[in-house]
Amino acid sequence: MHAYLLNAAVVAYACATGLALAYLVQRQEVVHRLAALATATGWAAHTVGLVVVAVETGRPPLGTLSNAVSVAVWVVVLLEMMVERQSGLKVLGAFVMPVVLVLSLKSAVGRPTTLAPALGSAWIWVHIALALVGIAAFVLNFAGALMYLLQERQIRAKRPGRVYYRLPALATLDHLTYRTLALGFPFLTVGLILGALWARTSWGSVFAPDPLAFFSVVAWLIYAGTLAGRTAGGWHGRRAAYYAIVGFAALVLTLGAGLFFPGMHGA
Amino acid sequence: MALFAAGLSHKNAPVALREQLAVDEEKLRELLRDTVAGGALREAVIVSTCNRVEVYGVADVPGLARAGVFARLCRHHGVDPAAVEPLLYSYEDEDAIRHAFRVAASLDSMMIGEPQILGQVKEAFALAQSCETVGPALHTLFTQAFAVAKRVRSETEIARHAVSVSFAAVELAKKIFAGLARRAVLLVGAGEMGELAARHLLEQGAFPIYVVNRTPSRAQELARTLSGTALPFEELGAALAAVDIVITSTGAPAAIVTRDMVARAMRERGARPLFFIDIAVPRDVEDGVESLEDVYCYDIDDLKQVVDANIRERLREAQRAEALVEREVVKFTARLGDVEVIPTIVSLRERLEEIRRGEVRKTLARLPDATPETRAAIEAMSAAIVNKVLHAPITKLRESSRAGAHRSWLEVVHELFGLGRRS
Repeated sequence: MHAYLLNAAVVAYACATGLALAYLVQRQEVVHRLAALATATGWAAHTVGLVVVAVETGRPPLGTLSNAVSVAVWVVVLLEMMVERQSGLKVLGAFVMPVVLVLSLKSAVGRPTTLAPALGSAWIWVHIALALVGIAAFVLNFAGALMYLLQERQIRAKRPGRVYYRLPALATLDHLTYRTLALGFPFLTVGLILGALWARTSWGSVFAPDPLAFFSVVAWLIYAGTLAGRTAGGWHGRRAAYYAIVGFAALVLTLGAGLFFPGMHGA
Repeated sequence: MALFAAGLSHKNAPVALREQLAVDEEKLRELLRDTVAGGALREAVIVSTCNRVEVYGVADVPGLARAGVFARLCRHHGVDPAAVEPLLYSYEDEDAIRHAFRVAASLDSMMIGEPQILGQVKEAFALAQSCETVGPALHTLFTQAFAVAKRVRSETEIARHAVSVSFAAVELAKKIFAGLARRAVLLVGAGEMGELAARHLLEQGAFPIYVVNRTPSRAQELARTLSGTALPFEELGAALAAVDIVITSTGAPAAIVTRDMVARAMRERGARPLFFIDIAVPRDVEDGVESLEDVYCYDIDDLKQVVDANIRERLREAQRAEALVEREVVKFTARLGDVEVIPTIVSLRERLEEIRRGEVRKTLARLPDATPETRAAIEAMSAAIVNKVLHAPITKLRESSRAGAHRSWLEVVHELFGLGRRS
């Protein structure tokens, strides 16, 4: 049952991705409306699917890393719909949905790992949930940075292409990356602290040899540096966008490491 | 009887001829009244702008009506009709509807999407209305044409992207800064185009504006007309640190904004982009300035390139607009057909209803003892028969009008049911 619903969600996300990309070059309102519809439908199926997983297993759908990534995707789509609605940024889907699609495929093909028995404590669920919300915000951060760089390039090249007309102003995009960074960072930080505390009591050391933990700390350092640079060093625009992309690459490695290499996060 | 549109436009007629044929309002009134009074046209609207002279009308023989209108026009202007006749196009029925929609929607304009034409067509329509040469056909046609034009403007981007250099600069500023509200502007030099661009920026909410000029009196004067502040020329470097948009249009023989100057200003201003609009030739902003972080610089050639891209974008949007117009034409043709068959349907119903009432009255007169129930039953039965009989012909009329073949059917129905002559 849940597998059927989750697969349906992935199919809907795939449709939404295609439509959102089409909307980028072909401005037909109906294309955007269909993309939004596919996104909302996928998200609804996804929601029910996750609830079914929770009911079937009797605990939050975060027990395996695949499930956890799926929840992260769920949060990303929710955020995407909210930001799009609030800011009228109709092209956002074209940059977020491909990431959503890749992540949901990844969560589908990842090894069916089960987490260590450590999962007994409620704190571990909080650790996972907070980290996932942080990751979701950083997906939008990444999308904003990508749009910023694309638009900046077009403006510098002085040859407006079709995407130039669709993308919003540089200031808007810079603001979006800043806001998503400011949103995601506290979640990631508290999530990691809880994880570290847990690691000390459970694994005996904060520095256990775990690839996921290692890359997540790398990503956290990059985001911490960017946030510091932005608030104190006047970083913005292109530089901030590059760091957003590097940070996201580290996050992808984090998830990739967790999904494909064994460590303390996956038995 | 047919709807038609005929005339000449920038597409086929040279400007020399168009300007000769342009008509002033007084003459236009006379022309409208004369042509309709003459009987060749039942209804008429004449659109006369510098790019087109066209007549929209309803006539039994459109070709004759067209010749009549343009013969009068040529006579008035002393132009040889033989020179005009081969340049005239004419459209009938569906093609005329399409033409009216395309003209109003600015798809037939020299610069696609230019906003003036809709106003001009509206004026022409209002003028014809005041001369009482607009009947039901042209009224529905033009009302719909205005609605279609509005849809095209709001649903496509044919009128969106700037096609002038100064507006293109403003749009670029918007793509950098999002809103222009409270963005500070510095105007260097007194070129006309620079002033125009500054005005556009102010209209979009940019504020305040500083003016720098080598001649202080000129700076003062310009600052006054733009409600800005004049600064001495020596403060140019300092001003760069304070503003967001710089427009340069001096007649200086060499660059006056150097890379060093901008680099220094950027260090002072912190994390805010600076946008140069350099409209001067030779250029006022030194090469290499734009390689600085957060600095964007467009010279006159760059802006022209943007304008070209904008025009291409408008043309792409025009294809979508054409498709929209086409759908509207189909819808409207069907509606127009309905409009033509409705009077016949109404008189058909009236005719049969008249017969029915007469027969019911006669029957009831012969049945003085009939109960109210019986009377009601007779009424109901006769009404049902009329409705059943009418169902097929009315359906057929409506269908034929949608297929555009209703005219001969209308004749047949009138003959068969003795509805009298059609108007």
